[in-house]
Amino acid sequence: MRLFFALFVSALLLPSCADVSAAMFAGGDGTYDFKNEWLDPEYHVDESKIHLMNFSSDEDSIYALYVGDIAQIATDTIILYLHGNASSMDNFWETAGLFANLGGAHHFGFMMYDYRGFGWSTGRSTGAESMAADYDAVVAYLESQGLTSDRLVVVANSLGSLPAGPAAAGGSRIAINKLVMEVPQSTSNVIMQNATGLSLPSSMITSYKFDLGKNMADYTGELLWMHGTADDVAPFETAKAAIRQHNGSYYQEAIYPDMGHGLRWDIGDEEWAGTILDFIRR
Amino acid sequence: MVRSILSLTVIFLASSCTPTKIIVPLEQGQWQVGLTQGRPQINDGFLPVIGGYAAKGMTETRTNYGGIQFSSLLLGAVQLEGGQVRTWIPQDGFKPGVSLSYGAQAFMSTRDYAFRFYPETGINAYWKKGPHILNTSANTWVDPTWFLADFNRGQIIAPSLSAGYRLRYKWIEAQVEYKMLNPIRELHIPQAYIPSTAGLGGRGVYYGIAINF
Repeated sequence: MRLFFALFVSALLLPSCADVSAAMFAGGDGTYDFKNEWLDPEYHVDESKIHLMNFSSDEDSIYALYVGDIAQIATDTIILYLHGNASSMDNFWETAGLFANLGGAHHFGFMMYDYRGFGWSTGRSTGAESMAADYDAVVAYLESQGLTSDRLVVVANSLGSLPAGPAAAGGSRIAINKLVMEVPQSTSNVIMQNATGLSLPSSMITSYKFDLGKNMADYTGELLWMHGTADDVAPFETAKAAIRQHNGSYYQEAIYPDMGHGLRWDIGDEEWAGTILDFIRR
Repeated sequence: MVRSILSLTVIFLASSCTPTKIIVPLEQGQWQVGLTQGRPQINDGFLPVIGGYAAKGMTETRTNYGGIQFSSLLLGAVQLEGGQVRTWIPQDGFKPGVSLSYGAQAFMSTRDYAFRFYPETGINAYWKKGPHILNTSANTWVDPTWFLADFNRGQIIAPSLSAGYRLRYKWIEAQVEYKMLNPIRELHIPQAYIPSTAGLGGRGVYYGIAINF
């Protein structure tokens, strides 16, 4: 018993020295070879409208891709896409091409960016603070180019729902009034509890605490939620519980039975793009 | 990638299960101190995660033990366990002996001091011949704070089933154990695959090495 007590006291005195969150981000190398030759012909873009740019986020440099006329930012609707947990924007170039042709060629401006540690963006994503700072760096640029709240549409895919949630709940310098949550996660606790089957909070392994349910309860704007019931990355039931706490001005959900986490590939571009376009235009 | 898999493995091990420490009670006054290496499977690989324990034979039929998971500590959770194993039915020839275990696991976050306490109980059937011990075991953790799980998705019990072999020879003991983890629940980690036994829960192989004195 004395040995057990000694172990317990010793353990309490040891500080934690690792955090799971950084390791769970799948950031990696990128080539940023954004060309039409990698796109289906129907999603080709005017290559003169491809703009790779970078912004400062704290001590790090964040790379972003804008597809469209820069001058368009001051007058047109801009889609800000927060991508999922893949190595870089390279993985979402096809998505960019689709958005650049949504409603017609370059009808909307399109912006996406790599979080710290993804692609060429420097540093490491570590949690809510770094994600919020990266988001703010990009939105600050859009604001400087004249974007206003009534013309901003945020589309968040999977991991992108983590920075999108707090931003929608009031953390965005340009208030979000149209938000698409595609296959979002739910809470950091749910990830821990689904991994263990126990009521353990996420603070046992990470300081990255997120709660999209609370974020959605605090979000007053319009929301479209898209999810497949067979999603094995962002479980459907917990995402539903979180998203349905939304109490804003308009709510729409697009639920696809037996579809998985790669929702766009599962349901097809036509259905996917049509649903988002209808929501933007409503 | 290795870093990522390691962390996922640690998440899984830190909380789902620890290896069975004592199957057959020690001799009265005997101590056993050991290290365990848990190897729950995630994706296609196994990675080692380390724990330690100490046990003492209080009588010929009762052994107390306490342990710590070093890997949980690395990530910021103090995970301690303690309990007792006692002989219920002594082995009689080929008729297996049966021992009962009861104890608890305690977790505390070093970030926000969140605390969880999980009583556990188990039953072991064992065959001991000379230095060789074969066993099958059923164990369950009880979650008295299941209602704290987000979105009412908690469960009160978290069982495991296992089979193992131990070589207890004089001052040393070597252990290997195969476990089915929480077979009544679908375990899930984003962007990772958790292999199971017959589609139930998770699975893992655990090794241990201990000294007796």
